[in-house]
Amino acid sequence: MTTGAAPPVRRGALVVALWLAGVAAALVVAWRAHYVADLSAFLPSAPTPEQAVLLDQLKSGATSRLLVIGIEGGAPGDEAAALARAEASKRVAAALRASGAFTSVHNGENSAWADAGRFLFEHRYAISPAVDADRFSAAGLREAIDATVSLLGTPAGSLLKPILFRDPTGETLRIAETLTPSRAPRIDHGVWVSRQAPRAVLVTTTAADGADLDGQQRALAAIRSAFDAAPAPGLRLVVSGAGKFAVESRERIKAEVERLAVLGSIVIIVLLWLAFASARSLAVAMLPVATGVVAGIAAVSLGFGQVHGMTLGFGTTLIGEAVDYAIYYLIQARGGNGAAERWRRESWPTVRLGLFTSLIGFAALVFTGFPGLAQLGVFSIAGLVAAAATTRFVFPVLVPNGAPGAGFRHQLARFMSAAASRLPKARFGVLAIALASIVVLVVTPSPWHGELTSLSPVSASDLALDATLRGDVGAADAGALVAVAGASEQAALEGAEAIGARLDRLVAAGVLQGYDSPARLLPSAATQSRRLAALPDAATLAARLAEATADGALPAARLAPFLADVEAARAQAPFGRAALAGTPLATALDALLLPGDATRPWRALVNLQPGDNGHLDVDRVRAAIADVPGVRVVAIKAELDAIYARFLREAEWQAALGAVAVALLLAAHLRSGRRLAAIALPIAAATLAVLAALALAGAALGILHLVGLLLTVAIGSNYALFFDHLRERGEADADTLASLLLANLTTVASFALLASSGIPVLQAVGIVVAPGALLCLVFSAAWLGRGAAGAQARGKIAP
Amino acid sequence: MPRRRPPQAQRPERRRFLAAIAAWGLAATLALAPPAARAQAFDLGALTTLLGRVQSGEATFVETRRIEMLDRTLQSSGRLSFKAPDSFVRETLKPRREKLAVEGNTVTMSLGERSRAMQLDASPEAAVIVEAVRGTLTGNRATLERLFETTVSGDARAWTLKLVPRDLRLRGQVSAVQVSGREAMAREVMVQLADGDRSVMTIEPVAARSPS
Repeated sequence: MTTGAAPPVRRGALVVALWLAGVAAALVVAWRAHYVADLSAFLPSAPTPEQAVLLDQLKSGATSRLLVIGIEGGAPGDEAAALARAEASKRVAAALRASGAFTSVHNGENSAWADAGRFLFEHRYAISPAVDADRFSAAGLREAIDATVSLLGTPAGSLLKPILFRDPTGETLRIAETLTPSRAPRIDHGVWVSRQAPRAVLVTTTAADGADLDGQQRALAAIRSAFDAAPAPGLRLVVSGAGKFAVESRERIKAEVERLAVLGSIVIIVLLWLAFASARSLAVAMLPVATGVVAGIAAVSLGFGQVHGMTLGFGTTLIGEAVDYAIYYLIQARGGNGAAERWRRESWPTVRLGLFTSLIGFAALVFTGFPGLAQLGVFSIAGLVAAAATTRFVFPVLVPNGAPGAGFRHQLARFMSAAASRLPKARFGVLAIALASIVVLVVTPSPWHGELTSLSPVSASDLALDATLRGDVGAADAGALVAVAGASEQAALEGAEAIGARLDRLVAAGVLQGYDSPARLLPSAATQSRRLAALPDAATLAARLAEATADGALPAARLAPFLADVEAARAQAPFGRAALAGTPLATALDALLLPGDATRPWRALVNLQPGDNGHLDVDRVRAAIADVPGVRVVAIKAELDAIYARFLREAEWQAALGAVAVALLLAAHLRSGRRLAAIALPIAAATLAVLAALALAGAALGILHLVGLLLTVAIGSNYALFFDHLRERGEADADTLASLLLANLTTVASFALLASSGIPVLQAVGIVVAPGALLCLVFSAAWLGRGAAGAQARGKIAP
Repeated sequence: MPRRRPPQAQRPERRRFLAAIAAWGLAATLALAPPAARAQAFDLGALTTLLGRVQSGEATFVETRRIEMLDRTLQSSGRLSFKAPDSFVRETLKPRREKLAVEGNTVTMSLGERSRAMQLDASPEAAVIVEAVRGTLTGNRATLERLFETTVSGDARAWTLKLVPRDLRLRGQVSAVQVSGREAMAREVMVQLADGDRSVMTIEPVAARSPS
């Protein structure tokens, strides 16, 4: 302790008290933190309004609430099994409709449309696209009635009969046509079934938002229990959809975080035991780590309002780095009275400089534009500062003489000394590796072609199942989204109508199978008014009807209900969004019409169904609707890739700036080009070698690999600084060498654990940092210099 | 699908088959045709084999539909054509132009300028009638047996094929489809709906080709 007014003992007690208070406060914050594990944190934040719409749709739009269910089992052609599947489908559908967890459940049974059908029938003259003045002229009426009559005596006619005298012009049928997908699933035994496999299929929309993972999990549980409620031997349940992926990913992240935390702790404890063979030293060494983790969680919780599971998983690597501070102190601060003071004088500046370089590295994460990565950065910065501060201020009070116990440190030191004395001879080998790596990187094509989808932990087989089920129900992903913005609800709907009129031509040309537009469910007030105004008054209609049916199949005398309905419709005002409440149409509309507010416009979305070949010609769609004001065609994958590529470029700049900042910091501190080179060269060689190895292995590198490289520089510079410290001192004592090797082993071990993770985000970081940190140590040792390395004989390991 | 039978030609059958082909104006291809089916009894196999020999055809039709609800009969007429294995077009010319084209599992309905495609198997009620007619015209025994309980009566000269949907739900809409014909050509299709409506379509062949 520096001399101060207070006696050392009281001052020490104060430090410990402050530390305990800080840890307690952080614990409270961490305890009350809101933990999440959805993957949207690893979607980049959107820079433009169009991309915001897209990401919003991906996170909580209609697609994110769609769950497709398959009921499988039985051989193809086995009628009994087909019947059992159909029965199971009806049972599950009924249970799900009753559960309240779904706003729509479709399995091919018509009953699902009863409510919707009633609404559409009652508002048919406002909704039917066929209604205009021509339609209600004598000739138009004749044409329309003849068309309806031509369906009588066919199975389709049996649906028309109950409403024939109220709707002889077939407006209800016309509406049904526009709403029925042209690529509907096959129907067998009254329910939807796959065309490819013995499987009944259902399409559901969850009531819970796509981003509400607890709600999605409840919906999935409801499906499972509905299926399990009645045992159906030989039948299996398969479910797919964004919500399923998200919930499973969350489970996987949770399990992975626990696995990493447990394994990471075990590895560190084993290493520390080897180093100290003392339970007390081990416990002390864990204090900065624990303090750092708690501080990190608290900082993230305070800064972001929530803590992502991935942050915790990544945080286990912090154990690996934070424990280094403890190791340096416990091993280096020994030798009786004043040891702590000597450590603070001799080693702390080096540790502090290493801390600063690490902080610069992590600071780059904070600005990457991925909320998830920003959390990792804040977590690491707070954690490292807390761990270093604990070591610097609390350890001299708690363990003024370092750690007792030698463990295998003799062996570690001997190994490291031997290595350190031989490695400088291999200095040219390191340069050769660096040059070879540069050649590899120049010759091979750039490995920086990672895609956003590569960050997703969803397995290929899950994606294949998803594509299969979507194919079954004709909900194949078109890969594009048409959005039109408007200042008001009406403007957005009018935009959707303008788009619809243009898309109709593409449908006729076969470019599209069809499209879903909100204006089909809720025509704009202007369109509704125009249609209703086209309806003639009762007397006129009666006269025209008499003319139209003069020698036709339908006698005018029986069409009084039609006259009454038209007269009633003439008095109707255009209906609004609220009128649909409680029908399945409301769900469908909500998915396609997004309310605006003071900051953003109303938006109507139009979903496209690609033409017969299944491929969507985005350019033709774009050209066809380009003249509609406020329209945007968003090609989902291309757009996401563009966003990601932009972030990758930005991150490359940030990483480069981070590296320059580290170099400037070192240069400012060292004030020696020679020393700077001896530190920078090994680190540069290590990162180049890792990059070249990944490029040779054919890896697709992305933003997380870049983060890994940055961390390699940040962590590796710590070792290089210590070697620089030893070089300047002219001797390499066994304790310092042993502590470096131990610190390196803990770091490499914890990042190697990350590299073994099944979660791509964590795996990408681990696979870069684990070998990178090891190479940094080895290469730095090569620059130690023979004089310093030779002096290791002077070193001694205290018992 | 024509089913290969043991080559055990019997002269009366062969003559009958000759007559059938002649009626379609296809005598030239006769020499290449495999021997006709042995048929102790004229059953579904024999009928579909007979029908399956005609790969494509065109005909005119006149349809009368009895609509109970309106208490009247509607008449329409137009053209039919089919081509094995699974194309079928019904074009109504009177009283108004309509077209129903089936190709595999895709049904395209055209009415004036409006045209709409749908999947046949997504609409089982429609599929029942389409498959009854298409399956009969192309001699698709497998499809007929899969969807219907079949009863064949008569002989090759004049036969009747009664088709009752196996699916009880469908039977609640379409009670029965009865196709009758002479030799390799269907001449009448009667559809009886469960609600009492009934349509009868009489068919008059106009041309035929067989690439075999």
